[in-house]
Amino acid sequence: MTHGTLSLLAQTGFPASMAQATLAHYVVVSLLMFVIGLIGFLTRRNLIIMFLCTELMFQAAGIALVAFGRFHLDYTGQTFVIFVLTVAAAEASMALALIVLLFRRKESLSAEDWQELKG
Amino acid sequence: MHATSILSTWAGLLPAQHEAAGAAAQVAGAVDGPAIAALAPLLPLLSFVLCGLCAAFKVRSKLPAWITVACLAASFAAVVATTLDLREAGAGSVMVTPLFDWINYSWGTEAGQHFRANFAFHIDSLTCLWMLFVTGLATLIALYASEYMSHDVGMGYCRFFAAFSLFVFSMACLVMGDNLVLLYLGWEGVGLCSYLLIGYFYKKPSAVAAAKKAFIVNRIGDLFLALGIMLCWVHFGSVEYREIFARVGPSLELLREGKVDQIPGIVQLIPLLLMVGAFGKSAQLPLYVWLPDAMEGPTPVSALIHAATMVTAGVYLIARTYPLFLLSEYALPIVGWVGALTALLAATIGMAQFDIKRIMAYSTVSQLGYMFCGLAVLGSVGAAAHVFTHAFFKAMLFLSCGAVMHGFAGQLDLRKLSGVAFMKGWGVVGIAMFVGCLNLAGFPVITAGYWSKDMILGDAFATPGMQAIGWILLLTAGLTAYYTFRVFFRVFVGPKHFEPGDELHAHDDHGHGHDDGHGGHGHAAGHAPSHADFHPHAPGWAINLVLGILAIAAFAAIVPLMTGGDNGPWLASMVDGSSAKYLGVAASQAAHAAGHGDGHAHATFFGYDAHKAMMVVSGVVGFIGILIAYLLHYAGRTTAARSKADSLLPAFGPLATAAQHKWYVDEIYDLLIVKPLWVISNIFALIDKYVVDGLVDFLGWAPRAIGRSLRPSQGGELHGYAIGMAGGIAVLVLIVLLVTF
Amino acid sequence: MIERLAYLWPEIALFIATCVVMVMGLSRTYATRKATATIAALGTFSAAVLSFLTTPDGGEIEAVSGQLYLASMVPYAKTLIGAVATLLLLTMAGTVDRAEEADIAKGVRSFDPLRSNRAEFYAFFLFSITGLMLCADADDLIWLFLALELTSLPTYIMVAMSTARNRGREAGVKYFFLGAMGAAVFLYGFALIYGAVGSTNLNEIAVAFATGGISSLGMLGVLLSILGICFKIAAVPMHFYTPDVYEGAAPQVSGFLAFVPKTAGFLSILLICGAVGWNYVIPPDGVSPLATVMPSAEGTQLPEVLRLTLWVIAALTMTVGNVLALLQTSVKRMLAYSSIAHSGYMLVGVIVGPGIAADSFSGNGVAAVLFYLLSYGVMNAGVFAVLAALERAPGRDGEPREIETISDLKGLCRSHPMLGWPMVICCLSLLGLPPLLGFFGKLPLFTAAIRAGEIPLVLVLGVNSAIAACYYLKLAFAPLTEVADDADGDPIVAAPFRTRAAAAVISAACVIGLALGGNLLMQGARSAASYTEADAIKSRVPQANAAPVDRNVAAH
Repeated sequence: MTHGTLSLLAQTGFPASMAQATLAHYVVVSLLMFVIGLIGFLTRRNLIIMFLCTELMFQAAGIALVAFGRFHLDYTGQTFVIFVLTVAAAEASMALALIVLLFRRKESLSAEDWQELKG
Repeated sequence: MHATSILSTWAGLLPAQHEAAGAAAQVAGAVDGPAIAALAPLLPLLSFVLCGLCAAFKVRSKLPAWITVACLAASFAAVVATTLDLREAGAGSVMVTPLFDWINYSWGTEAGQHFRANFAFHIDSLTCLWMLFVTGLATLIALYASEYMSHDVGMGYCRFFAAFSLFVFSMACLVMGDNLVLLYLGWEGVGLCSYLLIGYFYKKPSAVAAAKKAFIVNRIGDLFLALGIMLCWVHFGSVEYREIFARVGPSLELLREGKVDQIPGIVQLIPLLLMVGAFGKSAQLPLYVWLPDAMEGPTPVSALIHAATMVTAGVYLIARTYPLFLLSEYALPIVGWVGALTALLAATIGMAQFDIKRIMAYSTVSQLGYMFCGLAVLGSVGAAAHVFTHAFFKAMLFLSCGAVMHGFAGQLDLRKLSGVAFMKGWGVVGIAMFVGCLNLAGFPVITAGYWSKDMILGDAFATPGMQAIGWILLLTAGLTAYYTFRVFFRVFVGPKHFEPGDELHAHDDHGHGHDDGHGGHGHAAGHAPSHADFHPHAPGWAINLVLGILAIAAFAAIVPLMTGGDNGPWLASMVDGSSAKYLGVAASQAAHAAGHGDGHAHATFFGYDAHKAMMVVSGVVGFIGILIAYLLHYAGRTTAARSKADSLLPAFGPLATAAQHKWYVDEIYDLLIVKPLWVISNIFALIDKYVVDGLVDFLGWAPRAIGRSLRPSQGGELHGYAIGMAGGIAVLVLIVLLVTF
Repeated sequence: MIERLAYLWPEIALFIATCVVMVMGLSRTYATRKATATIAALGTFSAAVLSFLTTPDGGEIEAVSGQLYLASMVPYAKTLIGAVATLLLLTMAGTVDRAEEADIAKGVRSFDPLRSNRAEFYAFFLFSITGLMLCADADDLIWLFLALELTSLPTYIMVAMSTARNRGREAGVKYFFLGAMGAAVFLYGFALIYGAVGSTNLNEIAVAFATGGISSLGMLGVLLSILGICFKIAAVPMHFYTPDVYEGAAPQVSGFLAFVPKTAGFLSILLICGAVGWNYVIPPDGVSPLATVMPSAEGTQLPEVLRLTLWVIAALTMTVGNVLALLQTSVKRMLAYSSIAHSGYMLVGVIVGPGIAADSFSGNGVAAVLFYLLSYGVMNAGVFAVLAALERAPGRDGEPREIETISDLKGLCRSHPMLGWPMVICCLSLLGLPPLLGFFGKLPLFTAAIRAGEIPLVLVLGVNSAIAACYYLKLAFAPLTEVADDADGDPIVAAPFRTRAAAAVISAACVIGLALGGNLLMQGARSAASYTEADAIKSRVPQANAAPVDRNVAAH
């Protein structure tokens, strides 16, 4: 499939056929990933899993960026994703450091152990 | 009396057009005044600050008094210098000394989009006249007070002189301000100082009540004054005298042409509002009730503020804005009738009182009524002259009474004092009192009071439609002579007798040690007074000096009244050179003499020239008053308590009692105004308690209640927060999507 | 691209300072380690000076001129950031490794580079400030995202390491996880904006929205971006973390949090709103339902949807912050809630935008926000500096305990006048009492909102200011009242760091001084808020003129 066909398809709306992956598919996938990440973040108590859920949300945005970039035939989206990955890596290192710090204090990974501050 | 006809009559009395135009031009083209004029208000302000510092550093000496006297004397000198400068500038000139930009605000470039009220001083001859006696008398009275208040050396002394200086500063702002806003500032300032000084003996309930009464009654007048000033700005687009006078022109032109109907109603309303303000400050009906009570303050205060200066502010206001008053059909007639009735009423009350200071207070109210009448009968010269002479002799009368009060432990009842002038050391007081009484009674030819009163009476009879006022004033003149000499014959001459007052030491009712040089009188604090061991202490040098100077000044006040240069007597030329000019019988007489007043010939007194006739008539009336007082209160009197007058009282029946009770005016006010207000205020208090407070409580309670209901959201759990955030985002986004699609 | 560096001198200065601080912090010599604070202060100060002197206006550089619609905001914002950062740095003295450094000085233990955190703390501080300045510079969503993350990431660590207590850890973990979620939200929003426009350049986005209308996708992206950034400014519904984090962190770090992420958030929101609205044009064809709900005055507002959303957020933020602050007895929690409320006030300015009367300070909402950021930064630094400068004798964990409740502040004006009076002044200023700085900060918000006709919002603002007065007065009067005789607990002493007290005094002086001489700053804020309309931008962004279809052709 050439660039031209894809962009033409995209511009003329969503194709009826499920065989072709269009922008809409990618966006829906990314949205699903985002929501799954969010739900995981809200439901899980394990700090590591929670962090992974935020990573999922970041990567959902990444997928959307790449898809949109492809749609617009613009490389900015992909560039953005590289930066997002970098930031995600930085966050990961911080998250792990923080989790280790917390684990040392309470020998637990549960977020529920930390609710001294309230009101 | 048809009001429109009055206006048209006045129109005939207006000076020839070129004269008025010339006056307007003088008013518009002001030159820069001398910088020294600014010292007149600033020095009292400096004195105020220094006295405040004295209080801060707890000075326990007479330093504040000397500071005040020095500053006020310097201020007087500044006024004299300013006056000389003004004379050099020529008659009728106006100078403006700007001090700093106070309010100078524009919100557009068009006319009317600019509000300017700067701290600038409008100096014309009227200003100078007022400032001369204000600062001069203030200096003398401060000197008097340095001795009079000596029992209170310390904080009270500082407080007294600070308020005294602040008063002079405020009065100077009032008189010298070049705009109505600055006048209002001074107006409120003198009101405040009056309040502070009436309530000087703040531990005495009656003094506190009197201070509050003065303050509240004055507020009523001030409200109207403020409204008048606002209206002035609305209509003329300025509050500066020069601008206002320049813009009064078209209306004056209408008046001159007899097109009275075309003068805008709003212009006619302004003087009515200003007038009520003047009534409040100058204690005229119906707002005079505060002044007699104000005598609770220390006597120097009564002399300066409540006799000589502050209470004449109303006269000044009307004189200053005289062109406005000429434009109203009703303002000046109302001023005249209110003044006349006040004069008569206060005189009748004064006749029946026994407290000599109160008698003087009522006489002040009465004489202020005279001044208002003078203004109303187009005799602003007479009014100003009476203000001027009255300031001296009334201040002197008060100071004499104060000396008596000081020496006799607060005794003011004329039934308990007699022959004071013949006691050792009281000669000066007696002479001063005699001079003051002669002036107040209008003793013919030799007293200044006689001449100034004559001017007003003559103008009243000379002005068409005002004869009735003249008759009332003539009657009042007789009553005045009677009650004045009643005091003199009862207290100062006759058999020597006294009963000390209930204050061991005059005013010493808030517990200061007062054993300052009077210890030899055999009475001490806390020691019940008894007649046997009480010795009156005669006034010291300061009081005698001041009384002496004033006695001379009271006589000398004739000089500016009677002599002068080419433009007539000095005082008349000073008034004529100011905004109080325009009309005036003097001007109209000149016009009359020139054959100008055909068809508008002013009235006469039974065919005689009113002024010449009055010289005789009022002199005779004054004589009769004094004679009656002599017969009833001196001739054959052997005790202090009783005189022949007492036997005459039953003949007057309830009238005498009613006069003694001040015609029950306070009681009527209480019934008609205070009581209903009290009821209403109680109703409002209930509303306040149950409705407003409830609302306020609710307002205080509601945020807390909301807070308490929200507080569980801050449960401290990470997931709770996350759900809150995600939920919030979801809800907002969903709402947006639902609303828009 | 070398012209682009002209924008970056302050950041470069900060970066150099950061590197130097990190290296010097590993020195075995105590004096060298101690100098890190001075170097950091020099860094922020020189960044402020450089911002003032070198940052060009957007109009000055044609070729690569950053974002164009709020171009003058950049130098103003960066100068303000540098100045307040210097003030905040003064409060940071001795925050971490206090006991360790004391032991090393006493010779009890030897220096261990692995365990030393002090220099890192300063480095994080500087990194965060660098990120904040880069936020102001941003002309691209990628840049903005990176800058926001650079601002936030160090603050997570700063919170966690600011105290050794469990509360600090808890605050850190809450802040980090919720922050990551917020970041994901605005990142997703950025992605959607990119999807709608096809560009991440803010100028191009502005032109595209202004000429082509705002698609639903784009508006959704804008909404998500702003909601995500609401985390940074602690606005409803992203405010929950604020009180816990402020309470858990050391006071000086709380003060830092109240200024730095908030400023980053507001700068970003201004940039995004500027690109989306204020002078958007409703195109004749293809009107998106999301772009407008009801007809609104062209060229003066945000798109109606965004305006309403921000309206609700602003009203809720003020109210929630104030009513919860009312119930607090803990000083830091109260200040945290009030910081939420202050964000709500500032959002009013965002809603109003440059307004109809953009050339007057009183009618310009953006200028109001920019000035409020400055005044809030100063007052807030003062209050937290006072809290940081006070402590109690060490508790069981060996760390000096903090000031907890309002009653702890009682009698402060007598016992420590140099701390008590700044507290009083700054609280009164936060309350908005004339003639202090806070009043002049709040006034333009009111006037701008009134001019824009946002009367209901002004009423909410007024009511909230009244509620705020309740607790701020309580806080302001506490130092003035006398200590109760039965006061228990250890006496409160001044922390052994003079710079913290100095920061309090300087803040109070600024609160008074800037209010007196604030006209210049207001004029600065006004010119900083000068807003270029999309038409003018279009002529200066050549590539934006090309429609996406043409670019497809060009790509072939």
